[in-house]
Amino acid sequence: MSRRVVEINGRRLSLANLEKDLYPSYGFTKARILEYYRRIAPYMLPHLQGRALTLKRYPDGVAKEFFFEKRCPSHRPEWVKTAQVAINGAEPIFACVAEDLETLLWAENLASLELHVPLARAATPDRPDAMVFDLDPGEPAGVPESAKVALILRDLLSRMGLESMGKTSGKKGLHVYVPLNRTEATFEQTKTFSRAVAGILQRHYPDLVTANMAKEERRSKVFINWSQNDAKKTMICVYSLRAEERPSVSFPFTWDELEDAVRLADPALLKVLHDEAVRRAEERGDRFRDVLSRAQILPHL
Amino acid sequence: MAVRGMWSGTISFSLVAIPVYLVKAVEPGRISFRLLHTREYSPLARRMVCPEDGAAVGWDEIVRGYEAGPEQFIVVTDEELASLSPERSRTIEISEFIDLADVDPVYFDRPYYLVPAKGGEKAYSLLVEVLRRANKAGLAKFVFGEREYLVAVSSRDGALAVITLHYHDAVRSEEGMAPKEAMAPKEAMAAADEAEVERINGVMKAMLGEFDPAKYADSRKHAIRELLASKAHAQAPVEAPALPGEEAEGPADLVAALEESMRQVKAR
Amino acid sequence: MGATIWKGAIRFNGIDVPVKLHTAVSEERIQFHLLHRSDKARLRQQMICALEKEPVPPEEQARGFEVEEGKYLIVEPGEIDSLTPESSRVIEVQEFVKSSRIDPFYLDHVYYLEPDSANVLSKRYGLVVKALQDLGAVGICTWSMRKRSHFGALQATGTTLRLWTLRYADEILPAASLGLKEAVLSEKELSIGSELIAKMSGPFVPAKYADEHEKKLRDLIERKARGEKIEIRPPRERQATQEDKLLEALEASLKKAA
Repeated sequence: MSRRVVEINGRRLSLANLEKDLYPSYGFTKARILEYYRRIAPYMLPHLQGRALTLKRYPDGVAKEFFFEKRCPSHRPEWVKTAQVAINGAEPIFACVAEDLETLLWAENLASLELHVPLARAATPDRPDAMVFDLDPGEPAGVPESAKVALILRDLLSRMGLESMGKTSGKKGLHVYVPLNRTEATFEQTKTFSRAVAGILQRHYPDLVTANMAKEERRSKVFINWSQNDAKKTMICVYSLRAEERPSVSFPFTWDELEDAVRLADPALLKVLHDEAVRRAEERGDRFRDVLSRAQILPHL
Repeated sequence: MAVRGMWSGTISFSLVAIPVYLVKAVEPGRISFRLLHTREYSPLARRMVCPEDGAAVGWDEIVRGYEAGPEQFIVVTDEELASLSPERSRTIEISEFIDLADVDPVYFDRPYYLVPAKGGEKAYSLLVEVLRRANKAGLAKFVFGEREYLVAVSSRDGALAVITLHYHDAVRSEEGMAPKEAMAPKEAMAAADEAEVERINGVMKAMLGEFDPAKYADSRKHAIRELLASKAHAQAPVEAPALPGEEAEGPADLVAALEESMRQVKAR
Repeated sequence: MGATIWKGAIRFNGIDVPVKLHTAVSEERIQFHLLHRSDKARLRQQMICALEKEPVPPEEQARGFEVEEGKYLIVEPGEIDSLTPESSRVIEVQEFVKSSRIDPFYLDHVYYLEPDSANVLSKRYGLVVKALQDLGAVGICTWSMRKRSHFGALQATGTTLRLWTLRYADEILPAASLGLKEAVLSEKELSIGSELIAKMSGPFVPAKYADEHEKKLRDLIERKARGEKIEIRPPRERQATQEDKLLEALEASLKKAA
């Protein structure tokens, strides 16, 4: 077993199993995963700031079992920041908060390939920064159908005076975010609003869209999961790797890129792997940053 | 860092007042399970139910009652509770400083930390540092929930630690525990007992070690983890059913506005 | 002296001391019940199915460990029971440590020990008290009681043995993880602050502090029972001392204490 001690910002971190291949059918070792997160960190960290992290750990690679950890492991170094989160009035737990490179790499050393975060910050757990539409295609529907729904959604929201931004899920789905960034916003509001929007889309595009969670209703349609607008739920963080066969990334797209993908009928345009993610981020910066700053009000509530 | 407190208010000593949050300092490391319905595996929620009609009652329909007689309740509201000590429900006011070493540990109950709220960082640092230098703890009373707590506030690794203390009348006397002969003065001890003390002392010395709490781990917790890991290998997890698609509706105003916008989008 | 809550033996290196455990702290407080606002009926607690919104009887309840949102590993009651430590009635001392005081954050529950005089070996009790005091040590023990494994400390105070249950190290949050930042303080602020603390210091006299709240609460209930109207007083919050006024506030405090 290889072990390497690195020092980041004056903090020592012991990295283990660096040569372990966590994406065996593609070939992507833990060393390369750490390298990916190191390079993507400047763009990703602002989106992790102040948020209770849920770690999805794959100690034996993407093909093997994983752990879903909301509780920050108790063997954490002292400098790993935590936040107390109380879910549904239960005993509060301590969750990790990754606000610096060393914490991010510490989490990755635990093989936390996927990093999931709530829509609200830990200090204000009932106040979402954004409203989200999680577009989840049911087989045989896939990325093209999701892209069509995302474009309709963008147009509808825009008529309602709301700007939206999108990212891929890193799997087959797409995530459309409506930044709010206002202390008055509540999950009750975002849920009411997103549910009404999903209902309208289902009514107008019954063959393409469903707002119903039942599995059988979701076949060959795009399920608009509005229920993600909830203090208890988490979303895959933008720039996180996914535990797919290949190291794909949940990556922001521009609406032009999405229109191109639909026009050219080329869903591959929306599949962003690790190297492409780093290249694009370094070239164009964080395309998702407005999600953290643009302030908007949900109308008619 | 953003920490969500279980209580927020101010801690004060004399004329200095510091805005703070109270947070837990210990977290029971128990592995938590969720109760599920055996039929569908949908999660169960603990709810208060009305015995009359068996219906679950929402939190806004629940009041707190003191049982004054059979089926006779006196309702006490949150506002009335807060009115009992209005000066203590938002402020931990230190009335004096003591040596924590003077407190019999039997008084200690639960530990917490205070963290400074915005604008309180400097005065907080000051209190941490002067308590550390003087090796003192501040005594205060404050009201939290339905109770009033006596607390000792001390400096711990750069933070303010709060330990709730039991009240004097809650701590029982140790009198009557020890056998009479143990009270006897040393000279009265029999030679045989002296030898036995020597022997016991020798055994204890041989067993002397350096206290390292981290050496001791909850073996049951560990065993449950192992059980869960082996189960994860052996069986697929069950999936809770999605809650039925509630009618995707909304406030009439919003739905009307969305319909109008949708019409415009489609007309393009 | 309260009732015996558990009986067992302290054991170290084959030496047994039979003891009985007594609770050291007993708190009695006013109990409230939860009532239905409309008819003041007393409510019962039940487990409600999220799907069917109906109460679920205990025989239809299963325990699940959440591995992913909405996905559970089912754990049978027997499986957990088999992991539950059997009560052995032996409090095994693993080691003795020189210690005048254990970090209060570790201290959980405390029991007073009484020699179990039904057993002749209990005569050792007094000798163990003396030996521990001579050595200036406490015993670190492990045992299981009431289906839980415990880790604790055996301590001699005066003529009595106390047994503490200790919290496990991984249950205690280090102060460093609060992410506090140290503020810059002037020597003047620190010295006035220290002087103020010295002025406000005294001995710890626990009897001085009674639970006044509980008395007030009883009084409130009595007044309500008589049908008196209760005046609502809003909570009073102190104005936070502003950063640039800290020195001023310290100086004024010192003057007041003088």
